[in-house]
Amino acid sequence: MSKKRTGVFVCHCGTNIAATVDVAKVAKEMAGENTVAFTQEYVYMCSEPGQESVVQAIKDNKLDSVVVTCCSPNLHEKTFRDNAQRAGINNFTVEIANIREQCSWVHKDKAKGTEKAIKISRSVVRRVNRNKPMDAIAVPVTRRAMVIGGGIAGIQAAIDIGNAGIEVILVEKQATIGGRMLQLSETFPTLDCAQCVMSPKMVEVNRHPKVKVMTYSEVQEVAGSVGNFRVKVFKRSTFVDPDKCKLCDECTEVCPVVVPNEYEHGLTARRAIYIPYAQAIPASFTLDEDACLGLNPVVCGKCKDVCETGAIDYDIRSQTVTEDVGAIVVATGFDLYDQANIPELGGGKIEDVLDGLQFERLCSASGATHGHVLRPSDHKEPKDVVFIQCVGSRDPAKHCAYCSKICCMYTAKHARLYKKHCPDGRAYIFYIDIRSGGKGYEEFVQRTMEDDDTLYLRGRVSRLYRHNGKVRVHGTDTLTGQNVEIDADMVVLALAMVPSKGTAEIAKTLKIGRDKDLFLAEAHPKLRPVESITGGIYLAGAAQAPKDIPETVAQAGAAAAKVIALLSQATLSRSPLIAKVRRSHCTGCGMCVEACPFIAIRLEGGKAIVNEALCEGCGSCSATCLRAAIDVKNVTQLQVYEMIEACLA
Amino acid sequence: MIDIKDIRDTARDMLTKGEARAVIGYRRGSRGMLAEPAFITNLEQADELVWDPTCFHNLSLYLVEDRKFLAHLRKTANAPIAIVAKGCDARSIVVLMQEHYFKREDVYIIGVSCEGTGVVDERKLAPLLNGAHATSAAFDGDDFVFTTAEGEKRLPAREVMADRCLECRNPFPKEHNAVFGEDKTGRQLAEPFAALTRFEAQGNSARWDIWSRHFDRCIRCFACRSVCPMCYCDECVVDSISFPVTAETTAEDKANRIRWIERSAVRSENITYLMTRAMHLAGRCTDCGECERACPVNVPIRLLNNKMEREAREKFGYEPGASIGGSSLVASFLDSDPGDFIR
Amino acid sequence: MSEQQTYEPRIVAFLCKWCSSAGSDLAGVSRIQYPANATPITVPCTGAISPMYILSAFNKGADGVLVSGCHIGDCHYIEGNYLARRKMHLIMQLIEFIGVEPNRFRMSWVSAAEGGKFAQVITDFVNDLKPLGPQEKLKKAERA
Repeated sequence: MSKKRTGVFVCHCGTNIAATVDVAKVAKEMAGENTVAFTQEYVYMCSEPGQESVVQAIKDNKLDSVVVTCCSPNLHEKTFRDNAQRAGINNFTVEIANIREQCSWVHKDKAKGTEKAIKISRSVVRRVNRNKPMDAIAVPVTRRAMVIGGGIAGIQAAIDIGNAGIEVILVEKQATIGGRMLQLSETFPTLDCAQCVMSPKMVEVNRHPKVKVMTYSEVQEVAGSVGNFRVKVFKRSTFVDPDKCKLCDECTEVCPVVVPNEYEHGLTARRAIYIPYAQAIPASFTLDEDACLGLNPVVCGKCKDVCETGAIDYDIRSQTVTEDVGAIVVATGFDLYDQANIPELGGGKIEDVLDGLQFERLCSASGATHGHVLRPSDHKEPKDVVFIQCVGSRDPAKHCAYCSKICCMYTAKHARLYKKHCPDGRAYIFYIDIRSGGKGYEEFVQRTMEDDDTLYLRGRVSRLYRHNGKVRVHGTDTLTGQNVEIDADMVVLALAMVPSKGTAEIAKTLKIGRDKDLFLAEAHPKLRPVESITGGIYLAGAAQAPKDIPETVAQAGAAAAKVIALLSQATLSRSPLIAKVRRSHCTGCGMCVEACPFIAIRLEGGKAIVNEALCEGCGSCSATCLRAAIDVKNVTQLQVYEMIEACLA
Repeated sequence: MIDIKDIRDTARDMLTKGEARAVIGYRRGSRGMLAEPAFITNLEQADELVWDPTCFHNLSLYLVEDRKFLAHLRKTANAPIAIVAKGCDARSIVVLMQEHYFKREDVYIIGVSCEGTGVVDERKLAPLLNGAHATSAAFDGDDFVFTTAEGEKRLPAREVMADRCLECRNPFPKEHNAVFGEDKTGRQLAEPFAALTRFEAQGNSARWDIWSRHFDRCIRCFACRSVCPMCYCDECVVDSISFPVTAETTAEDKANRIRWIERSAVRSENITYLMTRAMHLAGRCTDCGECERACPVNVPIRLLNNKMEREAREKFGYEPGASIGGSSLVASFLDSDPGDFIR
Repeated sequence: MSEQQTYEPRIVAFLCKWCSSAGSDLAGVSRIQYPANATPITVPCTGAISPMYILSAFNKGADGVLVSGCHIGDCHYIEGNYLARRKMHLIMQLIEFIGVEPNRFRMSWVSAAEGGKFAQVITDFVNDLKPLGPQEKLKKAERA
């Protein structure tokens, strides 16, 4: 094996690296490495001239491998690998030494920073010395997609993907698609009716020839990887045949079971057999198995008896359906922060203290009060209503550290809607700051503030309790320094948005990460905001972070565009950095077979054999093998050994 | 009490019927009272078989040797091989089968229960014989009886037994085709891991003082490795001398060997060798104690293996050699594995 | 200056690519400062970290060794960190057993979102290592 000819390219990144790392010294040290044939430093290696100089240097100096010491490989590994290919050498002989995120940005002491940068660079130079040229593995792509979550984000993504001629399966947990947006009355800043916008979308997606809608269904298991996922979906039985159901409502008349209606946030009750909304899609009733007396004609059977079309069938079974898809969009939406965590505001136990979504249902024409704002305790029009913003948000000590982004806007909207319904009422809004960035948003808030009977109070509310049939609100106006006490007929809390219940499970099932606030994590906060860390899985809507409807729709469209781009390729290239067995050292003990999470290794003829289509290159086999007889290509034990040596040289 | 005649009859029977191509057992050795391993292939030799307190070798080592020898000759076995196995040895055989080194049907296990006692520790015996030279040893209930030039010497077994036998939890070979002797599982002569517990009671720096002296003494003769049935690899990851060159060996293989340790027998390298060995035996060592017995410089190697064994047992609920189809310690996990040490 | 003040422990930090290396990147993006003592080696998964790496790093003179990966349940490869947890428990026990200061080995779960935690883990580790002084017990002696 002839000696390697490695080129080392040291990036200054303007002053991002050069300010705290002596880049000239790094280059000089690397030039002293046995395998390094060429070194160069440049102010912005990723710029056009920087990249050109790399290509040129590879050609001029007959380099066979490259180390670029610069920012995180997540940013420019691909850039420089592409350059290498352009210059005629294999892209897997290029590695990045991260001396920015992991060095220059976190150490101010230049001497120490430089020393560490040299160690990092040297270890990567040694690693590259044993990198093998390799070709990506081509795998065929399944040209179908799945969207998880049937709210506005999921619906939009499904329609966009479907419009590109790609089959989509839209999976929704609830009995109807529509999600949170369907529960809203009007939307800011235009005050157009949410359902008027949403219903046509729901119909469109349901009728779309390329989209298959699966409601009352949940993703159970996901196997495979980008381009070829195999998803198991559990479809719960509704015990009603949607094709036969004529929505006559006879069944609910006779059903003896009454439970709180989750679609109305408990403001009303529903029967065990029910339809979430008049606009529900699929337009069919659902029999709630948990609430029903027993799906048994002997016990009850009233709904079945009364159903003229015979749509109700207690023998319809839940089933698990397996779907093969190439890409997945996760749009599982949000819930409101649990009031039980906020005892000072009643912990959800004080009458006439509502959350924002309950207030939406009060205002909605399809809601419990048919669009009349009446307080739940006595069904009278509330005359003094207190709105409290930032409940559970922006409170790192006790609740959520982040800003839920939409509460300023929807609280302003709530005040406006309230004033429309009760023109002689008074609205009080407790706020910390007003955040109204967005097209037409600031004007909307200003108009709300201009109302004489809407009073914005800057400050927090410390306590809520029932007092003489009203809700006593203790707060502070920090602008005047006065304590404020209001006896309100109704209080509306703008609770923080949190990832919807089940986000943790879906993240685990899909092997995608979550961020510190437990929302689904994007691959890069700026450059890859709709991709998850796992290839082929994309994010849309409030499952990723609090956001409003236009942003959600935009992100859904972006996720759809990513899916379409992915699925328009005939084959995908898979990383060839997978496990390889040294047959001479393998004793066939089978520990690697046991350790492999992907069932990618088997024993044959007393030796371990790797299934290249299944291996993900995690290296669990390698660390388990007592004989170092199995290695991940280009991250071999020998390479790591030499990196350790370089770190401690 | 085991009647040696039963073992001999079994061996003879197996060989006569052609059910075994050989019987690995113990016979009287040439050095004093000690038994030695015997590879018996004809009927007359079967009468040489013995069973006494000096049968300490873990014979499964010779199963490994046999397989390697056959592989070298490019031969396949035409019949199973029979082997006399104590509780610990039988567990070693199970581990080897767990690691697909043999198939169950390749080996006929003639189990021998250690009943109420175990094997002798020569180092404990020597002072008690007052310099006399024993020419034979025999089991007799709770005693061992030694024959010396001055006559018979009867000693309570507990006083001269190897520590590992005192601490043994499973003196009965559960995996067997035939078995002799009573199942005395749970006999409890000493607390399990008693020696380990005593050692661990010392502080960090005291432990280092002791270990550093042991590590200094190690001459890296690899006797511990040679005597261990689990060290069946052709090439040891921590030894650059044993690199096998076969037709399959490429130039790259030769160039790419990792030098985890230097050859010289200095403390740092000895530590890395012994620690690696302990890690590699975790979940595989059945505490037959042969490594420690074979060590010419008296490094208490068993302590290291015991430490791993106890961690496996207490933290992961793992018993080495419990079942052929069982999972291996380091290739498996439980949700309940301890994680409090992780920040 | 005394020996204690000038002594800078040398740490080898094995980071999994998906969580802890990404978390370390986030510490960088957020400009959270921490001591420069730890040199990172990024591996695909903590499950890929052979106990030999730990022994080897100490053998080559590391004063401390850090293994950091995804939180349990978050492993990109589903189970790699479970396997690592077991192996690292054993190696840590063994190191401590022969009388090496247990504080010289550390394991942590740092997610891609925990830049602050990554910086804290390194800072704490360096602070815990400083009073121990240079690691001589497992270190290969310098050749004369």
